[in-house]
Amino acid sequence: MSGTDRLEINTADVWPEDADEDEGVVTNWFTSEGSQVEEGDTLCEIQVEKVSVDVSAPAAGTLSEIVRDEDDEFERGDILAVLEVA
Amino acid sequence: MAQQDSAQAIDRELTMSRAMVEAIADEMRADEEVFYMGEDVADYGGIFDSTQGLLEEFGHDRIMDVPISETAYIGAAVGAAQAGMRPIAELMFVDFFGVGMDQIYNQMAKNTYMSGASVNVPMVLTTAVGGTYNDAAQHSQTLYGTFAHLPGMKVVVPSTAYDAKGLMHNAIRDDDPVVYMFHKRLMGIGWMPAPDGPKTPVPEEEYTIPFGSADVKREGEDVTVVTLGLHVHRAIEAAEDLAEDGIDAEVVDLRTLVPLDTETILESVAKTGRLVVVDEDYRSYGVTSEIVARVAEEDLASLEAVSRLAVPDVPIPYARPLENEVIPATEDIKDAVRSIGS
Amino acid sequence: MVQASKLQTMFTDMVTARYYEERLQEEYLEGKQPAFDISAGPIPGELHLAAGHEASATGVCQHLRDDDTVTAPHRPHHIAIAKGVDLNRMTAEIFGRETGLSKGKGGHMHLFDPEVNFACSGIIAEGCPPAVGAGLAAKKRNEDSVAVAFIGEGAVSQGAFLESLNLASVQDLPVVFVIEDNDWAISMPKDRVTDVADASQRAGGFDMPGERVDSDDATAVYDAAKEAVGRARDGNGPTLLEVQVHRRMGHFMGDPESYRPEEDSAAAKNRDSIERLASELRAAGIEDEEIDELRENAHDRVDSAIEWAKDQPQPDPEDAYGDVFVGPESGVTTTETTHELAGDTRAGGDD
Repeated sequence: MSGTDRLEINTADVWPEDADEDEGVVTNWFTSEGSQVEEGDTLCEIQVEKVSVDVSAPAAGTLSEIVRDEDDEFERGDILAVLEVA
Repeated sequence: MAQQDSAQAIDRELTMSRAMVEAIADEMRADEEVFYMGEDVADYGGIFDSTQGLLEEFGHDRIMDVPISETAYIGAAVGAAQAGMRPIAELMFVDFFGVGMDQIYNQMAKNTYMSGASVNVPMVLTTAVGGTYNDAAQHSQTLYGTFAHLPGMKVVVPSTAYDAKGLMHNAIRDDDPVVYMFHKRLMGIGWMPAPDGPKTPVPEEEYTIPFGSADVKREGEDVTVVTLGLHVHRAIEAAEDLAEDGIDAEVVDLRTLVPLDTETILESVAKTGRLVVVDEDYRSYGVTSEIVARVAEEDLASLEAVSRLAVPDVPIPYARPLENEVIPATEDIKDAVRSIGS
Repeated sequence: MVQASKLQTMFTDMVTARYYEERLQEEYLEGKQPAFDISAGPIPGELHLAAGHEASATGVCQHLRDDDTVTAPHRPHHIAIAKGVDLNRMTAEIFGRETGLSKGKGGHMHLFDPEVNFACSGIIAEGCPPAVGAGLAAKKRNEDSVAVAFIGEGAVSQGAFLESLNLASVQDLPVVFVIEDNDWAISMPKDRVTDVADASQRAGGFDMPGERVDSDDATAVYDAAKEAVGRARDGNGPTLLEVQVHRRMGHFMGDPESYRPEEDSAAAKNRDSIERLASELRAAGIEDEEIDELRENAHDRVDSAIEWAKDQPQPDPEDAYGDVFVGPESGVTTTETTHELAGDTRAGGDD
């Protein structure tokens, strides 16, 4: 293991509880690849069944990869991004 | 701008609505006398996300849903402001001004003057403007000229998240009434995707942007495009395309209509000699006429050619081809620039 | 029973207001006779006099403190006097002078005196929403001040009035709405503008207490207002009062009143609330001499205010440009902080 952990940001973890739909769309990214983020920073906003959900960083680290870009659609369980945790 | 280590550059981006909300929340934390009221601003969070998330932190006493009764609650904001509080009242669509305009232009805007400034009205009236999503004649207007025409209120029109936050801080702290007109298409709402441009990096710290300070959003030598709101982004897009044809357009974002930064416009026109004014309000007796008149009065000699682009004098139509016809598009801006040569 | 001292205060307010209107009428007509020219004479503009309305204002304002807000309509003098507005500066304002309450920018329909929280709106019923806002501010600040909106009976069909009743009621705000019913909305008698003879019944539509005082009797107004203002001050919500008053003069100076039957004008003049109150003073054991003295003192105060006002300078024409805003046009800042923003160096504003 190196000094960092790879943490995948999974859409299933932030799925709205009362949503029946299994598809969503990324409406906004607020940070870019390579950015340093603090735990709790809002990374992006997704929309499922007209409900907007803010996705925040589960830990401090570097946003190493954005897997689903703005306007990309995704299914429940898809990975949004990868965070390298220090 | 000072050269700084790029590592220090702010890279947190916000949508325009989030930037507005961040400023409102900061001001509400700093001053107990600031409160927000409007239709569907609490539990809903604002139809156009103008108050998203505020209820959770501040509760229903300070983020107040009110009856559909614009005269009563906008007037109540005037009364509370005259009592020294700092209300923010939201008019859901600017098109609804007809049902509450007396409180806006006869009370809010005039009580300071009519009292010889023994009374002041430190309130903000926020309101959503703009078309491009087929909401037809009663829900799509911008009405910049209507509010800017009537004395006694400052009129703010942000085009980016960065500007939206700094202008909102200044609006809430201002001891005078400010009308803050945000374009729906720029807010970054999930169901009304914004163009590229309004979402910008925004510092977490608070900052104020002075009123009456236009911002040159793109520098150019050949022609000056003066605009505001949504059309800042359409003008920048047009300018990028025109650059490929060797036309270098300067884009001036007014940011406020009252006060109006005539100086920045004149400086630009002195450099380019050509002026295109673009807005989304009606053409006659409006912002575009005012800008052209001011330049003509102050520096006719520099003015080699003029064109203005606005909604022709018809109500905003419903069907997509009809609405697209009347709201100035990027192509229309390019045509207008070309039409006056360079 | 209303205390004798209160009766005396009310009598003083009423004779002050009545004599004030009579004296203003004289001043106003100077230079306007025999031909009535609205632009001539020492008092500019329109003038809406309130002779016959006095009982309503004094009966209500007896229960108010300086920190209570009052909004008055286009016919405001008697209310301003009862609320304790500075009479000299108010008179100077009516004469359009530099030392007037608003430096000559407001005039008689737009009197503002923040010292006693008094404001006007010349637009029918539009003073109601700001009064609701003053009540809202008091509630938010947990203060026990109240707000009173005065309107005429011609305003009872206006949206601003009805919307204000609703907002005050649904938010439980400390507001009292007072309708001064003088029977005439300019030239329209009340029965031609509403089928509801008692406009206090409008309160029922908003689940709010409503009460009509059927005669222009200052002590009856005093009693009704005591309950209404007390209810508001105790945090128990708004009240609607209607008070019968009478219009002794035209809607505005220059109104020929050709629409008004002579017997109606005569009846209004006979229905004198001041004489009614004088009888109550006598019944309370106050001697005629003392009553005369109250009247003379009030007249002297009015005469001296008018004399003072006429002696004040006209405003400098250059002053027309000031007071649109109280603060700088640019807001709280004149400079823009620069921030280094990723991607776009212009977004941060480059001076």
